[in-house]
This record gives sequence, structure tokens and C-alpha cells, in this order.
Amino acid sequence: MAGAPDAVAVDTRRRRRLAGRMALAIALGIAAGLATGSAGFSPSAFWADLAGGDAGLILGQIRAPRTLGAALAGALLGLSGAISQGLFRNPLADPYLLGSASGAALGVVLVLAAASLGGAYISLSAAAWIEQAGLVTAAFVGALAGVGLTLALARGAVQTLRLLLAGVVVGVLLGAVSDLITVASPDALRGKQAFMLGSTSFLGWNALALMCVGLAVLLALARRYARALDALTLGEDSAASLGLDLSRVRLALVSMLSLGTALAVSQAGLVAFVGLVAPHLVRRSAPGPHGWLLQASAGMGAALLLGADVVARSLIAPQELPVGVVTAVLGGCYLLWLLRQRSAR
Amino acid sequence: MSDDCQSPASTAARSATKVLRRRRDALRMLAGCALAGAARPTLAEAAPPTKVGTARPADAGSGPIVIVDDRGIEHRFADAPRRIVTMLPSLTETAWVLGAGARLVGVDRFSDWPDEIAGLPRLGGLEDAHIEAIAALAPDVVLASTASRAMERLEALGFRIVRLKSETHADLRRTLDLVAALLGTPAAGARAWARIEREIEAAARRVPPQMLGQRVYFEIGGGPYAAGASSFVGETIARLGLANIVEPQLGPFPKLNPEYVVRAKPDIIVGTRREQASLVRRPGWGALAAVREQRLCGFDTPQYDLLTRPGPRAGEAAALLVDCLVELAESERRRAPSSVR
Amino acid sequence: MSALLQAEKLGVRLGGREVLTDLGLRIDAGWTALVGPNGAGKSTLLRALAGLQPPSRGRVTLQGRALRSIPPAERARSLAWLAQQGEVTGELTVRETVELGRIAHLGLLGTPGPADRAAVERAIDLTECHEWQDRRLHELSGGERQRVLLARVLATEAPLLLLDEPTTHLDAPHQVALARMFRRLARDGRQARAILSVLHDLPVALRADRLLVLARGRLCADGAPTDAAVQAALVQVFEGAIRIETDDRGAPRLSLALDDGPDDAQALR
Repeated sequence: MAGAPDAVAVDTRRRRRLAGRMALAIALGIAAGLATGSAGFSPSAFWADLAGGDAGLILGQIRAPRTLGAALAGALLGLSGAISQGLFRNPLADPYLLGSASGAALGVVLVLAAASLGGAYISLSAAAWIEQAGLVTAAFVGALAGVGLTLALARGAVQTLRLLLAGVVVGVLLGAVSDLITVASPDALRGKQAFMLGSTSFLGWNALALMCVGLAVLLALARRYARALDALTLGEDSAASLGLDLSRVRLALVSMLSLGTALAVSQAGLVAFVGLVAPHLVRRSAPGPHGWLLQASAGMGAALLLGADVVARSLIAPQELPVGVVTAVLGGCYLLWLLRQRSAR
Repeated sequence: MSDDCQSPASTAARSATKVLRRRRDALRMLAGCALAGAARPTLAEAAPPTKVGTARPADAGSGPIVIVDDRGIEHRFADAPRRIVTMLPSLTETAWVLGAGARLVGVDRFSDWPDEIAGLPRLGGLEDAHIEAIAALAPDVVLASTASRAMERLEALGFRIVRLKSETHADLRRTLDLVAALLGTPAAGARAWARIEREIEAAARRVPPQMLGQRVYFEIGGGPYAAGASSFVGETIARLGLANIVEPQLGPFPKLNPEYVVRAKPDIIVGTRREQASLVRRPGWGALAAVREQRLCGFDTPQYDLLTRPGPRAGEAAALLVDCLVELAESERRRAPSSVR
Repeated sequence: MSALLQAEKLGVRLGGREVLTDLGLRIDAGWTALVGPNGAGKSTLLRALAGLQPPSRGRVTLQGRALRSIPPAERARSLAWLAQQGEVTGELTVRETVELGRIAHLGLLGTPGPADRAAVERAIDLTECHEWQDRRLHELSGGERQRVLLARVLATEAPLLLLDEPTTHLDAPHQVALARMFRRLARDGRQARAILSVLHDLPVALRADRLLVLARGRLCADGAPTDAAVQAALVQVFEGAIRIETDDRGAPRLSLALDDGPDDAQALR
């Protein structure tokens, strides 16, 4: 057993350290989020608010849920990203690959354009019904429908490559349809853009409860399928030879990652890069099997989006940056740094 | 949705980091307008030609027409142009109001007033102008906004593009004068402006007294984006004697933290009808007095476009707003007939 | 007694081409080497036997039952397959990789018990991966990684091992050790064990109990390496690039025909 305990101990230590750091980051992020309001990041204003009469409203109904919501949405995206990177055996996979992003955007555009499309392209009753559904439901249903379309096009989750290609095709097609709709009804364009850039502005306690339940369910399922993702690292055929029903496993994984993405995206918009970068960061500091990686990616995603949200809210207060812009900038910088590291080696 | 409102808001959305630069630009522009306004006492006087956005006709109706558009480029016309293409709804309306309706040969996709232009060929929007169709119409001049890439192509083809900025009331006034000069009827500009002023003042007089000084939150949608005091509709609101919860230094279309709005406790909220209906579902907004007491003005798309369009129907827009205010006052009175209000 | 693994009239069609035609063979206990020139269909045959490639004609039976009808989990306990190219991703350690072999018994949810741990230990011992069992796979050399993947297969404790080029990247000492290990495993008294390995290393292949010579999708020879007919078939199939001689102890010795022929370039495979 020469050398064995040391390496294992090192791994455990790294994981514990990363977990500790993430917990700290999340705690600090929540604190910072609670202290960031229309006056920017201001702990003094926070104490004043707490004492003031509006505390329940401002802090309780607006700031607290959106801060926690950012963490939950980030966790969902991080988890989905880790699942997609394991499923596609590609460190550049992100949870939007299977048409969920374009499906959600189409749902949003349909709701926004329903009023002007009604009568001209679709019946008035259909338009009224669509409008009533609301943006959140439309985005959720749209995301799932996008993935469903991908699965149908790929004829099930039988082959990973076919799934990927189908996802690309569906993304392009649905994107084209929503572009067409915005041409016919430019009303929808601004709302669509706001959705595509992401924002935690209107997250309330209901949204929070929904995401919480979703995250709990997905984390439980993730533990079930962690070993399957580990087996997939050997290669698809090798994993099949171990007795895994790959089609069913893939279907389960695709369902999990689309549920997570749909939940996050319907509430917070199309936030870029969190799903891509969270698993990367975990792998860099504390690599390990998927039993650890999936949960840690969720934690890392939560910390990332929390931080980005605080920055988005405080940088130009009382104005806000769309949180997707902040994550895109941070994500782009990270990839750039990664590239330079690689070429320096 | 008119392009007039689309471009400022989506620019703000796309490049939020340019906010600071825009504030500087806004100040500079206001200063420039003030200077331009001051340097134009009468049209007959030979004003310094290098001022941006000025006209210098030798004589009304005869001789070459020289105007300097909002990009600072001088345009010389031997005669008043007879075939005009407009690529912005507010410019379409401006041309119409100044009596050049008969000279319009083509308009952009988003122009929707007046009904008489319904038969004119639609030439696309700001970014997707139909170059061939425009060229085929052989216009003497094309009126467009300052932010449009497609126009450069047309310029390269030899067409005259007059670029006009339309974001504030001052812009509108200047545009009216410029286009009027272009059409060879320089006095029409001042007349049109005077009429708009009268309409706005008439509307302002109709504002119920208890509404004066009330703080308005005008939502542009999405984000939430608000119309600030320096936006066109913001200026209209100010002319009606109402206050804006958005401070002027935040720019014309800031994307606000919803907390800001809740804290500011606006007295009246204005926006699209669909958004107004869902305000109560937003976390924390249900507690706003304006939402609880339904002091909301929700407009359908055509009226909403009218409100936000920086065009010569600003008077009508002001009247529309005041109609809503009157209705709000009425419903308040009906709810509490015995109260002093 | 039914064979451990049997192929009957096996035909496989890939991309419009007949890769395997009318193959019939049976695998019993012992070490069988599958050899043949490039493109003969060796990997395809192995995958068909492992149940990874559905045949277009014929069938494969495992202990008398049709392979297709056996549920994947049960099949994984009887049959383990090693891929030709180790396209491994992820950051698993050596030990964690070998432990994956136990999925055949534990499934996705089972908790590893003492039997599983013992199997993993044995597999690591057999492939001599002990020293670096907690290092990550991507930190190892090609040969070390190959041994780890082989250990993963051994950890399944399946009676039938289908190995596609297990000696890739291995240096001479380890090739020798591997050959010895195969012989030992195949002769293990505790259970009837069969090892079918595709091998490019002909000298190693000649040490096997049985030789299958495959060329252009058909089985050309099937017998002991000492069998003259098998040796003749081998030489013919490799187009005279090899020579087989028998040494004093009766064991076949293989050499490449490097000096024969007018063209030096032709001698190398």
C-alpha cells in the first residue's frame, strides 16, 4: 500500500477545502446580495433598511428571494453542465446543447408576440391563451419541447453523436422561427433580448420553491446516475459492456439535464457560461468521480451566479446589468486564460 | 413597435457599459442643441454654416437649399426634393405634417400613420432596408436616423441621405425646421412646432389638479427599463407637470433594479396593457399603492407606440396620457366621493 | 457440454460492406488468440461476440443461450470486453477505474462489499498497478494506462474475457508478463475461464493455447499454434511477410521475412 493513503488523503483534503471555500463563497454571496440594493452594495444601507418599515417588503420580498434564486439557478445550471459534459464526454459541452435554450427563447417570443400575431397568423383565442400562460411557463415548456424535438429527431437517445447533431439542428431551426416571429412582431424583440441576457429581477418566493424542489430531485437522481457517468468515461462501448442499458441511461441523463436547464432558464433567463465553467473549476481544484463532481458543480454554479448577480446589481446601481452579460464576460475571460495556459505549456 | 423607441432601449440593453458615455453624449447634445437654438434667430439671417443641424436657404422657395444634417454633413439641393423616402416613423409623420405627404414615395416598415400612407411601398427597417427597392424608387432624398448602417450603402450609390437624430423634444423641433427648410417651406417648421406646443399646453391644462406633481414610472418593458426624464416621453411627462421617479442622471432608458421602483413608490405607473396586468405578480410590487389602487395606465401597442415615438404627434400623445390621468382621477372620485380629493 | 461462447453462421455488415461472412466458431476454456492482417474484421468479430455489434446474419450464443436474449446486466457478469483504443476521459484514479469493473455485479446503486474490494485488489495485483493506484489515469503513460484498463476488465471476474489488442503500448517485459498471466488465468482450476484476445503481436499469439486466423472476414484456420496447417495458413494470410520455424523444444518461433524479396519496403507490415 505504498503511497496509497497519501494520495487519497490529498484528494480528500482538496475536496474538503473546495467544499469549504464554496460554502464560504455562497454564504458571502448571499450576504452581499442581501446588502445590495438600488443603492449598490451598501452594508450601511442594509442595516438602515432592516430597521426601516419597508424591511419586509424590500428585503423579504424582493432582495432575499432574488439572491437565493440566483444561487439556486446557478446550482441547477452547474449541475446540468456537469451532466452534459459527462454525457457527451466533452469538457466544452454546456447544458444548452440540446435545443433547450432556443426552445425557451421561442416560448418567450411567442408569448410576447401573441398579441400582435393574434388575428393575423394565429387565432385570437389561441393568442389569448398563449398570453395568459406567462413568460415563465412558456420558457419552461419551450425548453422541454426543444429537447423533446431533439430526441425525436435523433430517434431516441440511442447514439450520442446523433443526439448532438440533432440538438444543433433544432437550435438553428427554433432560432430561425423565433427570428421570423420577431420580424413579424418587433414588439417581441426587446423582451426576447432581455430574456436572452438573463436577469434575476423578478424572482419571488414561488420561483424559489419551485427551483428548490427541482434541485433536490435532480441531486437525488444525480447520485443514482453518477456511476453511469463514471462508466461513460471509459468509452461508450466499454460502458455498455459493463451491463449498462446505455439508451435508458442516456435518456435519463438527457431528461435530468433538460429539467435542470428548463427550471433555471425559465426563471433567470439564458445565463451564459455558468453551466460550462462550474464543472471546469471543480475539476481544476478537486477532480474526482462524478459522485463528487455533480454535487460540487452545483455548489460552484451557485457561487458563480451569486457573485455575478451581485456584480450585475451593484456596478451601475440603481441601474442593473443583465446578469448574463456579467457571466459572459467572466466566462470569456476564464476561457481566454485557459487557452493561454495551454499554449504556454 | 417603432424603431424610434427600439433603438435607444436595445442599445442600452446591448451595451450597458456605454451608459456613462451616453450620459456625456446626452449632456453634449443638449449643449449643442442649446447653442444651435441660440444661433438661429431668424431663417433669413445667414447663420454660420458649420453648425450641425441648421438650414440656410437663400430665399424661401428659390435658389439652392443648403442644410447641414445631424451628422454635420452639408447637403445642397438645387430645388426642393420631389421624391422623398423616409426610413423612420417619426420622420414619416414629420414629412406628412409639413405638407410633403404627396412627395413621399416610400416609407419604412414601421411607419403606421397616417392611414394615407398605407399604399406606399414598405422599404424595410433601419437595419434591413431594401436597398434595391429604395434605389428603384429614385428618391431625391432619403430621411433617416443617425443610427443606420444600411444608409451608408445608399450613400455610396449616390443617394442623398439626410440623417436626423430624434430623441428629445429639442431634436423634434430642430428636425421640423430642417425638414421644412428642405421642402422649401422654412416657415412651416416653426408653425408645426407651435401647433405641437399648443396641443401639449392644452393637454397640460386638462391635467386634474390633484395629479400635478405626482410621480410617474413609465415602463418600457423587458428588464424593467424605465423612461427617464431625458427621454422623449419623459420630457412630455415633465411638460404635463408630472414628476419622474427616474433621476435625469440615469440617462434616457436605464435598466432599473426593481427595488428602486418599489422604493420610489411611484404614484402612477404607465406601460403596455399586458405588462400592467401582470405587475401585481412581481415580487414586492403588489404592495405598491399604485398597483393596489390600480393607478395604472396600460396602453395597447398602437397607442403605446404613439406615446414613445419622438414625432410631431407628441401633442396627441400628451392628450392620450392626460386622458388616462383624467380617467384615474374619475375612478378615484367615484371610489371615495365624500373625501376631499 | 455447450461451449462457453459460440458463433453460428455469423455475418456482420458495416457501412454497406460485408465485414464478417458466415463465421462459425466456439470458444472454450483456455487462451485463444485471434490474429489476422489489418482489416480482417478481428475487432468487429470481437464486438459481435461481446454483444456490442448486432449481427446481420447468424447468431451468437453464450452458454447455450442466445446472446441477444440475455439481459445486459447478466451478460456483463459472464463476459467482459476490453476496447482496442482506450479513449478514456475524465479524472478517475487508477483504483476508481478498476472499481468500475464491479458495475457488472453492483449495477448503478449497489454498495461495494468485501468481495468487490478483494476482486479489485486481485486485479490490481495481477496487472502490477499497485504502485500508482491512486494516481489519475491521464497522468500515466500509454502502457500503464493499458494495464489499468486491463485490470478493470479483470475486476469483473467474468469467466469469458474478450480483449482487443491488450498488448498495445506495452513494453517487452510487460508483454511477457501478460502472456504468462493469460496462461495462468486460463488454467485457473477454480472456474472454466476463456480468454479470447485479438493480437498483433504474433510472437505472443503463438504462445496461446489456440489460434484463430481471420482474413477478409472469414476464418482461415483454427487450431493449436504447433499445428502445421495453422502455421501454413498464418504465413499465407500474411503474404509471406513472416516465417515460422519450430525450435528444439517444439515451440513455434516467428520471424519477419526482412531479407527476402527484391523490395526492402515490402518486408515491414
